[in-house]
Amino acid sequence: MREVVRFLQNGRVVELADVRPTETVLDYLRLRRGLVGTKEGCGEGDCGACTVAVGRLVEGRLVYQPVNSCIQFLGMLDGAELVTVEDLAENGQLHPVQQAMVDHHGSQCGFCTPGFVMSLFTLYHAPERQATRKTVTDWLAGNLCRCTGYRPIVDAALEACFNEIDDAFSRRADESIAALQAMEQDTRDVFIPQAEGGFFAAPASLDALAELAERHPQATLIAGATDVGLWVTKQLRELPQVIWLGRVRDLDRIEETPGGVLMGAGTTFAAAHPYMARIDPDLGELWRRIGSRQVRASGTVCGNIANGSPIGDSPPALIALGATIELRRGEDSRTLPLEAFFIDYGKQDRAPGEIVTGLYVPRLDPNHAFRCFKISKRFDQDISSVLCALRVTLADGTITEARLAYGGMAATPKRAEIAELALIGARPDRPSTWAAALKALADDFAPISDMRASDAYRKEVARALLAKALVEIGGTPDERTRVSGLRSGEVDHAA
Amino acid sequence: MNTQFVGQPIRRVDGRLKVTGGARYAADFNLDEHVYAVIVNATVGLGRIVSIDQAAATRLPGVIAVISHLNAPRLAYHPHKGAIDPATGERLHVLQGDQVRFYGQPVAVVVADTLDQAERAAAALSITYAAKRPAVDPSASDTTEIMAEASKGPKAYYPADTARGDADAALATAPVRIDAFYDTARENHNPMEPHATVARWDGDRVTLWSKTQFVVNEQAEIAAIFGIPTENVQVISPFVGGGFGTTLRTWSHVTIAALAARQVGRPVKLALTRKQMFFTTGHRPRSLQRVALGATPDGKLTSIVHEGRGETSRYEEFIEALTAGTGFMYSCPNVRTQYRIVPLDTGTPNHMRGPGEAQGMFALECAMDELSYELGIDPIELRRRNEPEIDESTGKPFSSRSLMPCYDRGAELFGWAQRNPAPRSMRDDREYVGMGCASATYPVLFSPTRARARLLADGTAEIEVAASDMGPGTYTSMTQVAADALGLPLDNVRFSLGRSDFPPAPPHGGSQTMASVGSAIRAACAAVLEAAARNREVRPIEAEGSAQRDPEVAARFSMHSFGAVFAEVGIDSDVGTIRVRRALGVYGAGRIVNPRLALSQCTGGMVGGIGMALMERTMLDARDGRLVNAHMADYLMPVNLDIDRLEAHFVDEEDPHVNPLGVKGLGEIALVGMAPAIANAIFHATGTRLRNLPISIENVLTA
Repeated sequence: MREVVRFLQNGRVVELADVRPTETVLDYLRLRRGLVGTKEGCGEGDCGACTVAVGRLVEGRLVYQPVNSCIQFLGMLDGAELVTVEDLAENGQLHPVQQAMVDHHGSQCGFCTPGFVMSLFTLYHAPERQATRKTVTDWLAGNLCRCTGYRPIVDAALEACFNEIDDAFSRRADESIAALQAMEQDTRDVFIPQAEGGFFAAPASLDALAELAERHPQATLIAGATDVGLWVTKQLRELPQVIWLGRVRDLDRIEETPGGVLMGAGTTFAAAHPYMARIDPDLGELWRRIGSRQVRASGTVCGNIANGSPIGDSPPALIALGATIELRRGEDSRTLPLEAFFIDYGKQDRAPGEIVTGLYVPRLDPNHAFRCFKISKRFDQDISSVLCALRVTLADGTITEARLAYGGMAATPKRAEIAELALIGARPDRPSTWAAALKALADDFAPISDMRASDAYRKEVARALLAKALVEIGGTPDERTRVSGLRSGEVDHAA
Repeated sequence: MNTQFVGQPIRRVDGRLKVTGGARYAADFNLDEHVYAVIVNATVGLGRIVSIDQAAATRLPGVIAVISHLNAPRLAYHPHKGAIDPATGERLHVLQGDQVRFYGQPVAVVVADTLDQAERAAAALSITYAAKRPAVDPSASDTTEIMAEASKGPKAYYPADTARGDADAALATAPVRIDAFYDTARENHNPMEPHATVARWDGDRVTLWSKTQFVVNEQAEIAAIFGIPTENVQVISPFVGGGFGTTLRTWSHVTIAALAARQVGRPVKLALTRKQMFFTTGHRPRSLQRVALGATPDGKLTSIVHEGRGETSRYEEFIEALTAGTGFMYSCPNVRTQYRIVPLDTGTPNHMRGPGEAQGMFALECAMDELSYELGIDPIELRRRNEPEIDESTGKPFSSRSLMPCYDRGAELFGWAQRNPAPRSMRDDREYVGMGCASATYPVLFSPTRARARLLADGTAEIEVAASDMGPGTYTSMTQVAADALGLPLDNVRFSLGRSDFPPAPPHGGSQTMASVGSAIRAACAAVLEAAARNREVRPIEAEGSAQRDPEVAARFSMHSFGAVFAEVGIDSDVGTIRVRRALGVYGAGRIVNPRLALSQCTGGMVGGIGMALMERTMLDARDGRLVNAHMADYLMPVNLDIDRLEAHFVDEEDPHVNPLGVKGLGEIALVGMAPAIANAIFHATGTRLRNLPISIENVLTA
């Protein structure tokens, strides 16, 4: 057992024993350390002003990811390297991304600038990236600027972020890697006790996690905390007992099996992205628009499932693909189809003390066709109004099986079972054969009106998206298919 | 005029500080022994506080004080109105009584050793209310419009009524007519930096490290509220993380910070959360407008009627330029404008980038576009046929006016000639494509300003003005002006701002900083050079200078900036999603002091206009006045990919009349015109005319 949290900053190991379970990295920096270069803009991971870089070892390489420090808990830095805007300049010499921001007038009021600089720093260090505007705008979608109109920032990124990596961090990478490896080799479970039975725990093995979760069924499990962080910063909820999954060995594994993709509960959206894009370009395109680069770097696919949001972006697509999840409580494991996990609004089929340990996503068979579409008001980093995903099995152009799932249409991500039945026997290339399926959606769903969309719009779009999917499946393969972009278009694979 | 630096694309002098995290914003100031204050906001929209149970909160660790109307000292609240405060009504007196005027009104403040403790204690306060249903919808039947006191009479700055000719009669007989209603949403400024104040008392003197676009007003306002001499208040605000108008006024949290610091006898840091900013730091009022146009078949305007209503609070009459542009935009013998306000149970609105013009020009410019289709005349040609020779509302010539040169240049750059004039005629694969344009305008303001210049023995100079830099680049542009005026290299000039003990500047709003502060700096530099020439021995030597508009020139000319804005949208034919494919603005804004700063400021303003057109809307629950989307996840603002291609250009314009520098200002006009250009493009793409902002995908699909 280890009763301190350890992370690397500026080449030195920082050890903290006084870590409150839900103390954020941002509060630690600004309030405890007086490092006020990192800014708070929204306190909910929407604006990116608080972005810091967090470096971790991925297959022996040091990879920096942008993280919203306002909703990341301090204990989650354990075993990582923390980089803030104060750390970039070297002996008074600006980092290349800082210099480019100065040269291109990337700042106006400057309040968002430290966040942009840190996002650019992670792009500068990203292992594979294409020097395109699209790469840049995808990377920066989680950073809001209200002054510049973004162009100078994008120009700065294009100039600075696609050159040979040569900065203080690359030059001392060997030492940093050694320091991170040394921390990684300490496989003791982290447990930081608090008054009145509270704790921050970071077990190092799945067995320890299962045992801890069973013993403390009321504890809050966190992986990336991109949602739970908001419970704390927005709802001021007290979470006295927090169990972080981030240190559990191999829980972030992701692998391609003959039939599909198997991922552990610690797999982030960013890590899963290339695997999902290989299953289907639509899925890759959806992944690109889940949250922001910061959210995808921390948030996990299984976390998105486990918290059961009716508008979570990944579940409808995963349900249509026939994904299954794996749960464990103590020694007992079970597997169930993803759609069965969502019982009702805010209610999932998860017993107290039970943990989601993994997800299996089957690959598409040659006789499958798949489409998914996300509709939101803002293209980037916006909550879906409606999300539609369809997988059909085709025999000689006729649908023999259909899995059609929607987000934003009901209290949970949900299959349109009546429409699915109506699709059997239909031919995508003959619209008259699927008219009944479009109609059936009205029997499947009675959506609500809220600030994101009216019920009428949701119904209309649900039909339009199903029609769009079928038209595309029945059409020529290179047909332009989506709200934006080409189906054959490039997907950003940089994790 | 020496222009070695003015007109050059000089790099920001504060760029390095900003990219290293070294720039200090209000909440970044840490004082010895400071404690934290957290405001508690009313959870009813109207009524009064019945009880406050603070026992549980007081028992929590670290809590130093819980202050509410029950125990707060009575503050002096001496009369004081700054240039940006509503002329009629009285500002909110905070923590002085049990009345709740709007949802989110501060009703208590908790002070504790740490922020976490203060937040917890604030959440632990138990407050009961006697609540009534508030009126928050200006279009509802339970509201009444009034004529603002300050808009009464022909000399009012924003007159309630203006008329020339007989617009209604001319409309009735016009061969071609447009008559339509427009509705623009309530918006919040949402600068990236939340408001914050750090307050420290030393005896009866208080120092405020505070976010403000108007430091001398914050000083005077806090002095008046606390009943202390103005010079006892020092305001320090070196960096402002965006404003767009929200920090022009001194809002209640500044008073609360100072009050709390005095009560607990220690420095207090108070930062608003993003949500709290929606409650108490002003908003762009929703507008309800009618525009009616009459024209001859060959497109000559014969009548313009523009009636507008805007929201205000119950306790102050906020007015803005809602109908101000209508009188002089186009040549027309018969024009009538009417402007009323609707008091609601909300906080007082305030100026937001392009205040009034943004909404008013949305209605007027959409109506002009509608008229162009009715007439079958190209929208640019329609404006050309109605281009006035003078300002017909005042009879004065324009000091300069480049509207048509802006359209001509913009049409060429944008490729307007490729536009098929028929609605719903252009497609790019599955997208309907539309192109639209609109005019923009904003007055050229110039307010009295003083500046101080000091020459040092080492050959460098220091310039001081109580100005602000919320982002446009005041630090940089003023350094350019001073370097030219003094004949010094840029590196030898240090310009300081953001302190109330510097010579006073007008509000950093209304696009007047360059004109006002720049001209005062030129005067101060000239004065110090003269003093230095007289006395070659004494260094440092300093002098002050001032600048203001010559009333004689003001009486002779009508002074406004003009611009032409173009937008191209793509509408998904299946699901109605709207994408701004590209946008372009061309502005006639006088001399451009720094093209890089100017370009960035304009594209930023255009992005704000995209937000106004397609996303930004503060929603209130009619049952209790609750703000439904008071956070960034649901108050959407444009992000990178919403903006495919944005360009801003400037036409050459020399205007010797507006001010000594010949500058007209850019901040506001850059936002004006974008929303109607987009709405007009959406009509062109779809054939559906949408008159409510923001335009949402469902309007397009289900219209």
